[in-house]
Amino acid sequence: MKMACQKKYETLLHKYLDGETNQEERTELFHHLKTCEECARHYRELKKTMMLVQSSSHIDAPAGFTENVMKNLPEKKKRVSWKKWSRRHPFFVAASLFIILMASSLISVWNEQAGEEISVQGSRDVAIDEEAGTVIVPEGETVEGDLTVRNAKVEVKGEVSGDLTVINGEQYLASAGEVSGEIEEVDQVLEWVWYHTKRITKDVFTMGEETGEQE
Amino acid sequence: MDAVVKRLIREIKKEGDQDAFAELVDLYKDKVYQIAYRMTGNSYEAQDMAQEAFLRAYANLESYDESRKFSTWLFRITTNLCIDRLRKKKPDYSLDAEIQGTDGLTGYSQVAASETLPEDQVVTLEMQEWVQRAISGLPEKYRAAVVLRYIEDLSITEISDVLDLPENTVKTHIHRGREALRKRLGNA
Repeated sequence: MKMACQKKYETLLHKYLDGETNQEERTELFHHLKTCEECARHYRELKKTMMLVQSSSHIDAPAGFTENVMKNLPEKKKRVSWKKWSRRHPFFVAASLFIILMASSLISVWNEQAGEEISVQGSRDVAIDEEAGTVIVPEGETVEGDLTVRNAKVEVKGEVSGDLTVINGEQYLASAGEVSGEIEEVDQVLEWVWYHTKRITKDVFTMGEETGEQE
Repeated sequence: MDAVVKRLIREIKKEGDQDAFAELVDLYKDKVYQIAYRMTGNSYEAQDMAQEAFLRAYANLESYDESRKFSTWLFRITTNLCIDRLRKKKPDYSLDAEIQGTDGLTGYSQVAASETLPEDQVVTLEMQEWVQRAISGLPEKYRAAVVLRYIEDLSITEISDVLDLPENTVKTHIHRGREALRKRLGNA
């Protein structure tokens, strides 16, 4: 008899504590609690227990908690700030991208050309010795205009009326030789890149003029 | 609050914005820490679990479904971590549970004896420890339900979402948890 009473009213008690009883059930429960000392004590104990649990004070996270979490986050911040930064400086990004592309394409051209055959621009009146890797402006000869030589040693015994440019090689000016313009030796990749940038820029402008004339 | 949380989450998802995440941690750290503390019963482990919960939330934010409450998702990570941790070290404490029960009695008699003393602060502190010991004595699934219900003040529906259990199971866990606590705290 007692066990049955406990089971039934224990369930009802918990239902009540969860706020899920209807008016009828509540009337029944409280009527029973008035007459059954055991169930009434059970109810008092449960209420007291839950009040104790609820009244246990709220504990806050320790100081510096957020900083600790942030310190342990995976490394991602750099990429983020770079992203933000690049959004703020679009011109700089475009410019550096241009320079990188330009440089890399020039470097690849340089690599293709390195160790390639001798090439001479500007004049045919020179002696090319492929095996020795030399280009000679013979004595008494005059090269009109600029002379550009790639992948060879240049010996000037005659005359060059314009500039002499030696790419990936060296020049030797014989005592009798003469170069009226500037002599430029290009053998560092960077110098070569600079030289090309100058030339491309010039070409672009000249082309612009030409198209302009054609129209 | 919800609008703020939604905005922060969008910023974190879109750009991995760590400042936004720091704001989110600030908003939830006390609740998460509280759950971890009540579940583990000590501040050292609570800090460890709470921190780990936030780190996992950050790493798995992509899998968070924005149509649901963020706190529910975060609390689920926290309780799962704590339950896993408790299960791993279980040997030390199912044996201790009985001892803790009697410990509780001594704790209570101490509280009762000192109630006449003017040091309210001390009484409260001892009382807190006594209650926490009783909570720590609960099996972890009952403990999670009781902590979420009575300390975090969540509804049965929310708890069922957090623990990923049917509402009726949650109710049963709370009932059993309440009865177990009553035996430790209620009959003195």
